Amino acid sequence: MNVNVFGSNISAMVCAACLAETGNQVTLVGQPKTGSPEPGLSKLIGEQTASGRLNISSDYDLEADVHILSLSADKDKKALEIAERLSDSANPDHCLIIRSNLDLKTIQEIERKANMPVIVNPDFTAEGQAISGFQKPDRIIVGSDDEKALKRFKLLFAPFNRNRDIFIQMTPQAAVLTKYATNVLIATRISLMNELARVAESTHADIEEIRQGLGSDKRIGFTYLYPGIGFGGVHLSRDLQRMQKLLDKSGSQQGLLKTVYDINQQQKELLFRKAWQHYRCELDGRHIAMWGVTYKPNSSVIKEAPSLTLIEAFIHQGCHLHLYDPNLGSSFHNWVNKTFDAAQQARIHIHLDMYEAIRNTDALCVTTEAKLFWSPDLKRLKENMNVPMILDGRNIYDKQWMEEEGMIYYGVGR
Amino acid sequence: MINTNAFQVLSQLAPEYKKTHLKTLFSDGNPRFDEFHIHIPGMLYDFSKQKVDHKIIDNLLQMADEMQLSEWIEKLFKGEKINTSEGRAAWHTALRDIENPLPEVSEQWTKMETIVNELHNRQLRGYEGSPITDVVNIGVGGSDLGPLMVTHALEMQKHPKAPHLHFVSTLDARQLEQLLVELNPATTIFVVASKSFTTIDTLSLADTAKFWIQQSTDCPRALQHHFIGISANPAKMTEWGIAENLQLNFWDWVGGRYSMWSSIGLTIALELGMEGFKSLLAGAYAMDTHFRTAPFKENIPVMVGLIGVWNTNFLDLSGQAILPYDSRLKYFASYLEQLEMESNGKHVRRNGEKTSYRTCPILWGEVGPNAQHAFYQLLHQGTERVMADFILFIHGQTKNERGQFHHNLNIANCLAQSRAMMVGQDSEDPNKVYPGDQVSNTILLNEVDAYQLGMLVALYEHKVFVQSVMWDINPFDQWGVELGKKIALDILNRIQTCDSEGLDSSTVGILKTIWKDNNEC
Repeated sequence: MNVNVFGSNISAMVCAACLAETGNQVTLVGQPKTGSPEPGLSKLIGEQTASGRLNISSDYDLEADVHILSLSADKDKKALEIAERLSDSANPDHCLIIRSNLDLKTIQEIERKANMPVIVNPDFTAEGQAISGFQKPDRIIVGSDDEKALKRFKLLFAPFNRNRDIFIQMTPQAAVLTKYATNVLIATRISLMNELARVAESTHADIEEIRQGLGSDKRIGFTYLYPGIGFGGVHLSRDLQRMQKLLDKSGSQQGLLKTVYDINQQQKELLFRKAWQHYRCELDGRHIAMWGVTYKPNSSVIKEAPSLTLIEAFIHQGCHLHLYDPNLGSSFHNWVNKTFDAAQQARIHIHLDMYEAIRNTDALCVTTEAKLFWSPDLKRLKENMNVPMILDGRNIYDKQWMEEEGMIYYGVGR
Repeated sequence: MINTNAFQVLSQLAPEYKKTHLKTLFSDGNPRFDEFHIHIPGMLYDFSKQKVDHKIIDNLLQMADEMQLSEWIEKLFKGEKINTSEGRAAWHTALRDIENPLPEVSEQWTKMETIVNELHNRQLRGYEGSPITDVVNIGVGGSDLGPLMVTHALEMQKHPKAPHLHFVSTLDARQLEQLLVELNPATTIFVVASKSFTTIDTLSLADTAKFWIQQSTDCPRALQHHFIGISANPAKMTEWGIAENLQLNFWDWVGGRYSMWSSIGLTIALELGMEGFKSLLAGAYAMDTHFRTAPFKENIPVMVGLIGVWNTNFLDLSGQAILPYDSRLKYFASYLEQLEMESNGKHVRRNGEKTSYRTCPILWGEVGPNAQHAFYQLLHQGTERVMADFILFIHGQTKNERGQFHHNLNIANCLAQSRAMMVGQDSEDPNKVYPGDQVSNTILLNEVDAYQLGMLVALYEHKVFVQSVMWDINPFDQWGVELGKKIALDILNRIQTCDSEGLDSSTVGILKTIWKDNNEC
């Protein structure tokens, strides 16, 4: 099939490359950035472009009969513009697949304007596992009422549905809500775990033990059961807000999702609070190291990352920060410029080596579960840190081991 | 005052005006309003419902000249030590000179702004490290009333990041005890506002708050994060335990009841943001400029003050009602009670001689629509002859249909009451006779916002000053409040030692009843 994929983000790139790999003629309409931190993506794009099946262009392929919107979630206006543009030359045999996580209203408007059948196929893959997520998904949600379009969609996605049938067919609005609800449920589990971690801490229990007990209940399972310093990125918080709005409209007076969000915001400051309490309400002049700044490993996204909240809190208390993150990009520098005055900026130091970052510091905050943080050289930490203290925001270290090695250790809920 | 030529003339004219019914001044469609109002940007002052005509006004202005009002105004604005009994200036106008601020004033603005921004950005931290969410202002008198009045009035315009504000002032600690039950110590900060930082009312409450925080944490530096101090006495703040970065200053030339324009206004800035606080100052500054530069005949504070003197000293009116027609001004009358009665409630002239004339009337008030169902009965049919100030706003808060309806209802009531008090009504049923003939001012402003409120408060401050010049008294001291404080300390000491020896029998009788009930002494 001839396919247009609209978008410049990782989701669009992965979708275009994977569809090209399965033999389609794909035009990726956008300006994707080169050197994506997504594992394997640059290689795949390179291969598919070389094969001639993937074309990256600012214009769409007029011959294409399948159009896929894979824009970022806040591009509602642009999505509408594209749909309107396509509608001029559209015919009922074409179809428009929406993989973008757009506002429900926008999707309904696109349906009215597109002049062709619309299919909502939400993208559930997580950054960092985008390719495998696309090729071997748990399920493929297909939201449409049009039989002919559904048939075409299933043909296009057949290579990713081989092991067993994972197509789940529903109405477009149900597909949209499924996407929102998935994020909302994940966020709620995380915030609930963080609340439980707080209880564990105040009753001298270890949340890790509780997590094991909880997760092995088949009704509950282990996924997204990790306490930590809160979820970052924009996806979960955006869908929490969207769903809360829909709830408000429905007449519900409860603020469950607002609370989920608030708990998460508080949780982002957890390591700051622990350092603050350790140093008896006085952090002025302390040097704090931080491993991990982006909101999760293998991503350069810093939006709503807990580290930013932590950096702000430490800077406002007069601390110096020593940061290490292999994926730190220009968005972080822009954020620093926007958030701090010159004197504050002078207290933020970026290091290219993780052990350089901890030199003469009074605490080390570990904010992501990146692989290279898992087995730190404790000898180097003890020798080079001013105070050998680890604030483990992802509970990746064995508390007992840390303490036996003479480290001061603070985790989440333990 | 009584030795001026104008006083003699006015005394001779007064009996005739006392006899004249107010409504007759409006008879035959007399367009009195045209002649007896002053309109400046943002404010209209209507004094046509006062028993004045051009002859009276000319003589009042003549009296102002004879009492050297212009010279006194200059002394006020130049910061001369016109608070002679305490050897201080009364330079509150310098606190709001936004065009040419004193360096020490701007320095405090900067410090206030830092605190406001840190708190708004959730970067002021309590002992657990969580952001401060609640601010409790502990202060009494000027350190309480101004911020309370303004923050209540402007609550609808509060900054989206404003913390929850609470005020406690009474030394019985009931307000504080109630609050401490509801608040989380880890996220509460106290603003201890006291000019001397020795006032027992404030410091006893601050000590109770200190105890509450200390009980909640073993963090030795916790107090440094839970108390902001505002005082003219930095040494005392430090001694008490306030961190240097959370100390705000003002100066001995700022009187307590004129202090909301200083760093005492911190809670106002916390509610509105620093921009809102500056807007309040700007409104007061506009009134200052008007007061200092407008000819007396067109000068609102001068005319409000002189007409008040005419009513008090010549027409023998004895009460002053303050009637704002906007429920957001709930605490405005309380604020003016202190401003006027603590300033001019005195019987000694600047030279120490006793006055032979009346000075500040008893002033009281309430939000108009509520007062209509309370003390207006007395205004309409009582035996007291009083003066009233109606305060009204052109615009309400909400623009929708119901909001506009309520606002029109409010305007109608305000105008109806001032008219009813003026014209009264005859009836064959004596119970339905309304004598009328009660004089009133009406002050009309655009809307309740920081700027207009700044103008309004500054208007009354200058009115008080004008009257003090007429009465030849120092409005900036308050020796009257000292005696009670001194006796209270003595009685407290006696309660603690169970000693009633030598007290009057009334005090002894009451103390013994209390002791008996408590099985004490």
